[in-house]
Amino acid sequence: MEQSTVTNSRLGLSGLLSAVIPGLGQFVRGQRYRGVAILLGFLVMLATVVWYKNPLWYASPIAIWLWNVWDAASARQRSILLPVLFGLLAAYSIGWRVVGIDFSKADMNRARMIVRPMLRPDFIQERRERNTMWVPVQVPCAPEPPKAVREDGGKKATAIPDCGPVGETIIVSVSGMWPNTETNVVWQNPIGNSMMLGEGETSMLVLTTDENGSLTTAIRVPTTALVAAPDPTLPQLHRVYFDQYRPIGGYELSFIGNEVLKGALATVAMALIATVLAVLFAIPISFLAAHNLMSGNPVTYAIYVVVRTLLNILRSIESVIIAIVFVVIVGLGEFAGALALAVHSIAALAKLYSEVIEGIDPGPIEAIRSTGANWVQTVRYAVIPQIIPPFTAFTLYRWDINVRSATIIGFVGGGGIGFLIIELTRVNNMRGLSSVFIAIALVVVTLDYLSAKLRERLV
Amino acid sequence: MSSLFHSTLIPCPSPNWREVGVRAEWRTIMLRIQNVTKTYPNGTQALKNVSFDVKDGEFLVVIGLSGSGKSTLLRCINRLIDPTEGKIFWDNTDITIASPAELRNIRRKIGMVFQQFNLVKRSSVMTNVLSGRLGYVNPWLSLVGIWPEEEKKKALQSLERVGIADKAYNRADALSGGQQQRVGIARALMQDPKLILADEPVASLDPVLSHSILQYLEQLNKEGITVICSLHFLDLVHRYATRVVALKDGVKVFEGSAQEIDRAKFKEIYGEEAQEVRAASL
Repeated sequence: MEQSTVTNSRLGLSGLLSAVIPGLGQFVRGQRYRGVAILLGFLVMLATVVWYKNPLWYASPIAIWLWNVWDAASARQRSILLPVLFGLLAAYSIGWRVVGIDFSKADMNRARMIVRPMLRPDFIQERRERNTMWVPVQVPCAPEPPKAVREDGGKKATAIPDCGPVGETIIVSVSGMWPNTETNVVWQNPIGNSMMLGEGETSMLVLTTDENGSLTTAIRVPTTALVAAPDPTLPQLHRVYFDQYRPIGGYELSFIGNEVLKGALATVAMALIATVLAVLFAIPISFLAAHNLMSGNPVTYAIYVVVRTLLNILRSIESVIIAIVFVVIVGLGEFAGALALAVHSIAALAKLYSEVIEGIDPGPIEAIRSTGANWVQTVRYAVIPQIIPPFTAFTLYRWDINVRSATIIGFVGGGGIGFLIIELTRVNNMRGLSSVFIAIALVVVTLDYLSAKLRERLV
Repeated sequence: MSSLFHSTLIPCPSPNWREVGVRAEWRTIMLRIQNVTKTYPNGTQALKNVSFDVKDGEFLVVIGLSGSGKSTLLRCINRLIDPTEGKIFWDNTDITIASPAELRNIRRKIGMVFQQFNLVKRSSVMTNVLSGRLGYVNPWLSLVGIWPEEEKKKALQSLERVGIADKAYNRADALSGGQQQRVGIARALMQDPKLILADEPVASLDPVLSHSILQYLEQLNKEGITVICSLHFLDLVHRYATRVVALKDGVKVFEGSAQEIDRAKFKEIYGEEAQEVRAASL
């Protein structure tokens, strides 16, 4: 044993050296890498702790320093478990502060505001029929305003007075509607924009008709009625609508549900197009990136190195980031997203394919050649059967990944369901967002399952 | 004695030479290996000036340590590996200078059986066997995977000869090692071979299976196919070989009958420390 011959005085000396400069004792003893590692570890730890200025954390470099002296002065090599533990502890507490973990920030009221509508996803709705009636109202008044009376199919609506400026109170009434039914009363400006007439013009005015199907109410001309008017002094005919709905049995896709479905379809299609496009490019490239094929001579090896490097760089850029570039080049929409996914997939698939080619069993090639088969027959009977199943498996797996990526590529304008997420978030439509989440989960889980099942059969 | 007379004239004789007792020098030489040397690009000399003749109907066994050049020798015969120097004559043509088309024609008459079976594992047994026929069929049809009915029938017959016709539509990797090697033999049979090269055909199998596989090769040998086979076990050599060639570091150190190889000779070939391992006692 070499250690036992080391005398106590020499151990003391190396302990002393390590006390002055951490790791020096170990270095002098011949454990060079260990010494350098200790010094670097100590310095990094010290620098981090000084940078973040928390006196408590100084314990960590001190502990490492103490351990280092103990290690240098020991005849036996000590396990590095302890200093690694000290280091991790300090790193974790610094990380805690950097991340800013603060559970007291959580606001349960806001959480409830979001979660409650999310429990009722806006995907399908009852099938309803609409019963509607409107009356024209002139804003502002002309010298001789038209009569605010309108009759249509047994229904009659009136407004008194016939006209008025913004903020004027108008008595509107309607008859001949469905009796005892909730009725939305809505203002519509001449270009077809609806305005709500409820409290503060931020809620819907909902009233119930009497047993004869009539109702009368006072409304005020909305403050926003003339916002879109090119000349606010020019009298224009606005409308007051009375809308009733009643279920006629069964369900249908809601407007948002329809959009969600379209978005989900676009997402899957985008991923499919991108994957197929990527396969076409990845197959030839993968042969250039296969070590066993390309290491024969310096020229092909140089090509191999260049191709591999390019693939590695390309693969390290997320498709969402590539999409930013393509959105600029080809404009917003699914096409930009598909191109971005394709570029990323080419790099990923080419690498996976080339690894398949590298792992090919040379035995069957030898066997087929020995039967007198020509080159093409050898490829067909010895190479292709070996690479087709793993190629297909990797392609399915990539499609699976692309569907996931395609769901968020819309965030940067790449189309698909991600675009819908952005729009719904902006108008705070949590019910719509919830149905998007459900749709994504369904699509991803289904494809994940399908591709796993198919891959199982291939490999 | 008429069968003796016939067999000296007909290149592919049916009787087993050992049973008929024809003197070796009377038989036709089917393969002549002349001063073959193989040097690999990394400088390894796998074969050094090896010469010997193979006569029609022989069961020639090549022995030697791992790395002694057995596999290289067998692969030089069908030029899976190109020899660096020397000539190999097959039916009076020099294989070493054959054009690619000629080479394919020669190869399709030489079946090969491998230690690792070298089947395409994901393909069916049937496809693996049919691929032995690639040198004969229309290349274009074979590329799209269309095989004539008579070839399929022939493939089933080949599988029947090795006793696994019922496995024809299984995936090759679903079979046991012994069965896979039998598929390998069936594939070689599809070539209507005059010669079968067997590169350690039983080194991956247990002793019982070893005998069963070698018995199939022996049966084919009796039916007139010449066999060149590399083997490791002395008792297998004694049991099956009609003649033995021994290699040591790429040099031919022995050529003669199996009976001439006793323990002393065996030690000389395999080195002093070698223990004769008996396959049957394993």
